[in-house]
Amino acid sequence: MKKRLFSLTACAAMALSLLAGCGGTDAAATNQGGSTNENGEYVLETLNITVDGTITATVDAGQAEFVAQWEKAVGERLGHPIKLNITQLDHSDYSGTVSRTLTTGQPGDPGYPDALIMSASMLRQYQTTGLLWNLANAYDNAEFQSRVTLPSINMNLRTSDGSQYGFSPTYGNGCVTYLKKGWLEAVGKSIDDIKTFDDYYAVLKAFTQDDPDGDGTNKTYGVIAAGFGKLDEAPYINYMPEFWQGAYPSFYKSRETGQWVDGFAEDATIAALARLNQAYKDGIIDPDTEEAGTKQAREKFFSNDQTTSEGAFTYWAGTWLRTLTDNMNKNEVKKQSGELEELVQLPPIKEIKDTWGGYLNREAPTWVITDDGDGNDAREQAIFDALFDTMLDGGTVQTLWTYGAEDVHWSTKAEEFVLNANDPDKKKEYKYEDGQFHLRPNPNDPNSLWKKNHLDDVLVIAPLTNGFKDNDELIIEGNRFFTENCVDAPAAASSPTLTDHEADLAEGKKALLNKAVVGEITPEEAVAQYKEKFGDISAAIVEELNSQEQ
Amino acid sequence: MSINENSKGPQAAPKKTLAQRMKPYLGFYLMFLPVFIFVLIVYYWPMLGVRYAFYSYKLRSIQWIGLGNFVKLFAEKEFWSSFVNTLILSVGKLLLNTFVAVVISVFLNEMLNLFCKKFVQTIIYLPHFMSWAVVAAIFTLFLSTSSTGFVNETLKSWGWIEQSIDFLHSKTLWRPIFYMIDLWKETGWGTVVFFATLSGIDPGLYEAAELDGATRLQKIRYVTLPALSNTIIIVLILNLAKVLNIFEPVFVLYNTRVLEVSDVISTYIYRKTFLTAIPDYGYTTAVGLFKSLVGMVLMLASDYASKRIRGRGIM
Repeated sequence: MKKRLFSLTACAAMALSLLAGCGGTDAAATNQGGSTNENGEYVLETLNITVDGTITATVDAGQAEFVAQWEKAVGERLGHPIKLNITQLDHSDYSGTVSRTLTTGQPGDPGYPDALIMSASMLRQYQTTGLLWNLANAYDNAEFQSRVTLPSINMNLRTSDGSQYGFSPTYGNGCVTYLKKGWLEAVGKSIDDIKTFDDYYAVLKAFTQDDPDGDGTNKTYGVIAAGFGKLDEAPYINYMPEFWQGAYPSFYKSRETGQWVDGFAEDATIAALARLNQAYKDGIIDPDTEEAGTKQAREKFFSNDQTTSEGAFTYWAGTWLRTLTDNMNKNEVKKQSGELEELVQLPPIKEIKDTWGGYLNREAPTWVITDDGDGNDAREQAIFDALFDTMLDGGTVQTLWTYGAEDVHWSTKAEEFVLNANDPDKKKEYKYEDGQFHLRPNPNDPNSLWKKNHLDDVLVIAPLTNGFKDNDELIIEGNRFFTENCVDAPAAASSPTLTDHEADLAEGKKALLNKAVVGEITPEEAVAQYKEKFGDISAAIVEELNSQEQ
Repeated sequence: MSINENSKGPQAAPKKTLAQRMKPYLGFYLMFLPVFIFVLIVYYWPMLGVRYAFYSYKLRSIQWIGLGNFVKLFAEKEFWSSFVNTLILSVGKLLLNTFVAVVISVFLNEMLNLFCKKFVQTIIYLPHFMSWAVVAAIFTLFLSTSSTGFVNETLKSWGWIEQSIDFLHSKTLWRPIFYMIDLWKETGWGTVVFFATLSGIDPGLYEAAELDGATRLQKIRYVTLPALSNTIIIVLILNLAKVLNIFEPVFVLYNTRVLEVSDVISTYIYRKTFLTAIPDYGYTTAVGLFKSLVGMVLMLASDYASKRIRGRGIM
């Protein structure tokens, strides 16, 4: 009897534990995000957003304070409380995770986003699926419209029928080539000596062969990048622009003919592969480039072991000039003179100017709103009002998206603080008066200064009106340099066949690119093999793209 | 009175119904019930998803296409390449690992110095506890063609080579390197089963062999290896059933330049599902279903082989 009683009790306990688990899910599932008030208006109570790594106020860097201040500011503006849930996905698998979320969920499900960030390529793929809301009218009537200084950014997102499924609060930004000033000095060159590809190549060769780090060996390299070409991410060529020059290894609209073409099949690609192959053979490109991600490439560039490092690195403009410099300083990377190493920005070489006109300014990432498909826009409009309209309010909320949470990431209160207090070489004191806007120490790294949150105050399409401005000279200089030397990248292509075969194409092209660069096959063979394997698919895509234009 | 009627005895008792037979153990069945429900929900309910192998399933668009996915699958050159690679890599590493594990086990068994034996055992077990991601990072760095690559820089400094060898990007070298890394990581752990068998051999057999004048090698040949043979067969049979499951070691070590010799079914499914912006889950489910069917055939074959060799199956 005792045994039976025990078994029944154990059985009941297990069943209860299972039911308890189900109960938790059930409770969450009832959250629909909003309700209708007595006037029949939709009231958005909860906003679920899915973001990538571009929100730098992460959970371990003051996100809770950011959310609390956002909820307070937006709640006051809307006249009712609102809860913000941020799901920050792994940056490297962002598009895959978004795809799975949008496939398996629906509005109202826990974890299903009301709004999310998409790259320009993702937007083109999803805007025809019916999952995204057409926000053209909401955008036209947004409160921030009167302050928009760069209207073309969002107008370019409109389809031929005037629909708009994405909202870009900033323009895209792009990459510029950075060179180590100490290495240039060590090989007897200056940035002004580099005007053409041959000049650039000569400097890279000197970085490889002339012992720029002064360790007595020749283990350094001219350049490193995250891949010889980033064939799965537009604008594809921006990590090695000097080698790619006018080539574009994907589908783009020719400026000469106005027709869509497959850039990988063009002679310009053969020429670019030949340049990369020559540089690889000459030992100028670090072989790690083939498999390196952006993190590995930049960490090797500013590594504390410069004996196997590189002298040139093409990376994002503006804030990244500050970040790369800070990391070099943190690692005590020094010139042969003993001074801390500096970076200089290379103006676009002649071959880039003659083809594209400058460094490529990528298509801006966008925010999108998911459509619940009920034929009523009340929920979607409420999301637009709460998230997008406030994001560019010019004041409190825009400041949150630009610099983060007040008194956490930035402040206007009088205060003094010291960074690297225990290191006399790097110690830096900061003192601010009451009312003076300033950035505070990074919550995640108290020895460095906070830089920005999601929006870049220089790239934003409607500037802040409260006068808050980060006066970091390197960031200002980086942004100025890029703005003066950039052109818009080709628009991303989108067609049903391309969506079906995009991963196969990227993988196939990457294999051929790598084989051609390391010399397993010739550049001509690479393009010929591409045409043989993907010729029919490529032709179908080009035809679809051109027929969409008519 | 017939013989049958006379010989009824206990066999003649009326057959109990299922409910009657369960009743004495009702408490146990009730206690098992939540676990049974849990297994149904977690293991079997997701299997209903195999029906999508007969659909085109992109985002929320689900359309019945019958055998369309299988027709596409069988026409794909990459799929067959990955299928063949799966068999070559899995069977190759299974045979190599088993052979080397047996050799090491026998050597360890012959080692008389207990401290030395324990030390070697510990050293060769350790790599098993490292994740494949860490192992891949170590060997990628170790074998890199960059000036940070230890192997190439050492060979160059000795004057053995002039140009770095691209171990992990060479179609001819990738498989041998893969087998070598897998051996380094898993062979030590693979010796555990054989070592346990060896420690169970009756010492009297060795004493008898010694009295008969057997040398050390003869003792290995006539006592140790015959004692191990059954275990070797069991290990091979049990592992044969799961040869199609290989994923992680390939995933962390392969690259686009060696896809032709390294891509296996699981990495093929991974790329088609997770590296495609809007994947067709129907197609990848079809690939997975085909893989499961082949796996089932292998499992049944293993079971049959086990019954023939050991007298009992593995299922």
